[in-house]
Amino acid sequence: MHTDLCHEIRHDWMALLGILVMGLILLMAIFAPLLSPYSPSDYTGRIFSPPSLDHLLGTDSMGQDIWTRLLFGARTSLLVAASVALFASSLSVFIGASCALVGGLYDRFWMRVVDVMISLPTIIVMILIAAYFRPSLPLLILLISAFSWSGGARIVRSQVLTLKERMHIYAARTFGADPWHILKTHIVPDISPIIASLMIHDARRAVFMEAGLAFLGVSDPLIISWGKMMHQALAFTYLDVWKWWLLPTGILLSLTLVSLSFLGVSLEAAMDPRLYRHEREHGREHDRCYEDVNGQDYGNEREEHENGEIGLSEAGGC
Amino acid sequence: MQDNKSRRGGVFSYLLALLVIFALNFILPRMMPGDPLHAIYGDEALVAMTPQMEAHLIELFALDKSWSEQMVAYVLALLQGNLGFSYYYKDEVSAVIMGALPWTLLLVGLSLLIATALGVILGIESGYRRRERLDRGLLAGLMLLAGLPDFFLGILLLLIFGVSLHLFPLSGALTPYSGLEGLPLVVDIARHLFLPLAALVLVDVGGIYLLTRNTVVTILKEGFMLTARAKGCSEFCLRYSHAGRNALLPVTTATGLRIPQLITGALFIEIVFSYPGLGLMLRTALDARDYPLIQGILLLATITVLTANLIVDHIYKRLDPRVRYAY
Repeated sequence: MHTDLCHEIRHDWMALLGILVMGLILLMAIFAPLLSPYSPSDYTGRIFSPPSLDHLLGTDSMGQDIWTRLLFGARTSLLVAASVALFASSLSVFIGASCALVGGLYDRFWMRVVDVMISLPTIIVMILIAAYFRPSLPLLILLISAFSWSGGARIVRSQVLTLKERMHIYAARTFGADPWHILKTHIVPDISPIIASLMIHDARRAVFMEAGLAFLGVSDPLIISWGKMMHQALAFTYLDVWKWWLLPTGILLSLTLVSLSFLGVSLEAAMDPRLYRHEREHGREHDRCYEDVNGQDYGNEREEHENGEIGLSEAGGC
Repeated sequence: MQDNKSRRGGVFSYLLALLVIFALNFILPRMMPGDPLHAIYGDEALVAMTPQMEAHLIELFALDKSWSEQMVAYVLALLQGNLGFSYYYKDEVSAVIMGALPWTLLLVGLSLLIATALGVILGIESGYRRRERLDRGLLAGLMLLAGLPDFFLGILLLLIFGVSLHLFPLSGALTPYSGLEGLPLVVDIARHLFLPLAALVLVDVGGIYLLTRNTVVTILKEGFMLTARAKGCSEFCLRYSHAGRNALLPVTTATGLRIPQLITGALFIEIVFSYPGLGLMLRTALDARDYPLIQGILLLATITVLTANLIVDHIYKRLDPRVRYAY
């Protein structure tokens, strides 16, 4: 796993587009108070006013400035995305790597937990829990993280299983390195591209879930969220307000999700040497060589292939 | 050997997952602050409740007994198919759900069929013409669609074709009180179904397309494709009987992963189009805090997802001789 991701990604329009859009949304979120004179929960005195110089995107049914709420909604989405990416991927790395390193009953226990978590339909369980707790932002982040680490843990485990047989890890062990040290200095840097891709997947799922739960109306009513705005706006499609209320909110949410999945797909393509060769063939020799090496062990190769592809398709739908 | 073990493990994890859901349904209301009867039925329900009914419910759930006895009562009620009483609809939860279920099944079933067929055909054609204009266009377009949140795609279709162009009805599954029968009724149902179905198919087709395309691209390099070409197979036969048939395997596996997405997608899209299935009912139940109904709908959705995954595991074994011979 020694691919220079920065180099790979620099020539990929999908990744560049993803980074550009994410950067713009990040700027919106950071400078939200500077970009709008109103506070998101202020009552401006007029409801359903069309876009004007005072209110760039008009006001909603509660008389709040829609542009301001969009800006502050970006804060919620990105905060949830970043925190979940951090928590869930740390859990994935820690549990996955420790399973591979410790093995035995510990490994079997966690892999059983992962199996169960993967077979559970996450969103449905989240709706059930959220229906009772109406989670606040910190609780929401913890909940989404708790349901997002399992797939990643399995990927990390399989990577670490092969990594730990490498010479340099053996060498580190003979020098007396404990598992924690090996994890920190040898394994995590080596699988950092995988961790990056996991984080992007987790972030995308988190944005989607936060918006989805808010759209269903089961998250804390105090959170300013794009999903919540769409939930409110959907009731007024018979008026013209959807043009500056429902549509911009949905487009911003979609832009965030699409740019995250573009980033995820191009990261995955950069990491997967097979996809790399398919999409950017440098010459026939490469393909020949790849077929000769893998051609004999047909069944094995196919299974690997499927796993890779399922990862990809997961990047699409959520 | 390894394979055999992991498959049997699969059934076991589905059972465990089901247990987790039952446990959540049992524990969550009892974890809420205050009287469990309030938590199980929600505050709104108790306003309308008579003392006799309250006593009956306490007895039914064994709420005046210990946790272990409550658990036994809960499991017994579940085994009898008793999901509780929906105070909002004033009927048994199972009866209320059965009323909405056909619409959701229609929506999910049709979109599963259409999206799979469309995804596989587009994937084969696109993979066969890799890097031609059709392939590039499809790839970019479908990737974009797959990236959109399902409910926003539904909203877009609603706004464009329903609100702006007035081509399709905005909500519902039938025109109420129209008294239509026979063919006009079918046409009416189809007109109402079209937009939600299109939204669900568009969200779902991207993943299947991408998977088929990538598989076909790898299969095209296989030796048997060259043999088929050498023995004079037609282009159509090459594409569908040789490449397409092999591409079906990963598609089947992925179907297991798609079903949860389809079901949750249907829940969201029904809300957008006010389509009277389980999704809209869930939204109503969430707004009214009708907890037995929420639990019932989500339990049904989970069981469907788990069963579908189990079935797909078995179909997969039948489809791929290599997996079957591994036993």
